[in-house]
Amino acid sequence: MAVVSKKSEAGKIIAEGLWNNNPIFKQVLGICSALAVTNLVLNTIVMCGALVFTLSLSAATVSILRNFTPRNIRMMVETLIIAFYVIIVDVILKAYWPQMSDNLGPYVGLIITNCIVMGRCEAYGNANPPLRAFIDGFFNALGYSFVLLTIAAFREILGMGTFLGIAVPYFSTGWDKWIVMVMPPGAFFMLAIVTWILRSVQISREEKDK
Amino acid sequence: MIRQKRWFAIFYMFVVTAFFSSIVIGFSQFTRERVQANQQIAFERAVLMVLPGMYNPELSQLAMHKRFEDQLSKPDKSSAGAYTLKEKGQITAYALPVSGQGFWAPIKGVIGINADKQMVTGLAFYEQRETPGLGAQIIKTSFRKQFEGKIISLVGKAISIKRPGEKIGVSDVHAVTGATQTCIRVEKIINNAIRNWQEKLEQENQ
Repeated sequence: MAVVSKKSEAGKIIAEGLWNNNPIFKQVLGICSALAVTNLVLNTIVMCGALVFTLSLSAATVSILRNFTPRNIRMMVETLIIAFYVIIVDVILKAYWPQMSDNLGPYVGLIITNCIVMGRCEAYGNANPPLRAFIDGFFNALGYSFVLLTIAAFREILGMGTFLGIAVPYFSTGWDKWIVMVMPPGAFFMLAIVTWILRSVQISREEKDK
Repeated sequence: MIRQKRWFAIFYMFVVTAFFSSIVIGFSQFTRERVQANQQIAFERAVLMVLPGMYNPELSQLAMHKRFEDQLSKPDKSSAGAYTLKEKGQITAYALPVSGQGFWAPIKGVIGINADKQMVTGLAFYEQRETPGLGAQIIKTSFRKQFEGKIISLVGKAISIKRPGEKIGVSDVHAVTGATQTCIRVEKIINNAIRNWQEKLEQENQ
């Protein structure tokens, strides 16, 4: 019984992070990076990997320290923990993947200010055991990643005619490239369209379930 | 409870900061040599890329470093700060390091100039933090290749970066679409570096 209960608990956390309470289209968190890094799919994949690493480990660390951290300084401690993991990612990229470090520029450092990370650490990591906090962080980051990758795929194909830098038939030759898609306004258009579609699906499912 | 004491918050913050900082410092030290080596390799690759017949993308990093060390002369007064490629004691090309403020952060690169100091042999960047997909396109071959063969000895700007589609002359190239600000800065960086270099060479010759 206990195993089934634990499994259903984990399933609930996963469903919340990926769909029911998705950080981008439901909680509307982490929009800044959703706009900034989605003009190339490869950059988006690396950014999402960095966020999965940072968010899951930050939430688990915040959870481990939750019984010792004084309430009045908890947000300072959370910021410190998040910054720690982000710097580790930044150093790894600089040392082992310098090309990608150059491509992402300042955006890796800006994960520290990503609202999803602080939001999940504060809302969930601070009040739940480490394993649950880790799972919550991991799947919230995956929920963020799938929306970002959808946006990035459309922006790169329509704006540059490529996917992961590889020419896409028709879009790289016959298609009149929509330069606006790789520029900042393109991110706003795509984010609005993706949010609109996913929220519509979500609302119609909720109404069916009633 | 001890957690509610005022001194505990200060003590706790200090301990947590010291713990995480020491890990970061240790990890940075561990990778420091590798990061520095990456920066040096990027620079050496950029220098070789702008010199005719020197760059081969299939070369290993070690072979590239060896080629850089063996075949290039370090900058001196007579080359006014440029690396030189020599053949039988005669300079065949210059590789001039250029740098300046980009749209977001400094841009660093190398411009190759032929032996008579009239023509560009190549342009490469080894450090930039421009917008991915837009300004960062300056590192793409399609943009850089345009500089090869451009004349820098005419009066006025050494190189002009014109709007895409505009008619271009012997010293002009086309900008990257959607990256006007980066291109304006690249033009300024290149022209300042070339003019300073030409002035220094003139002073050396006097």
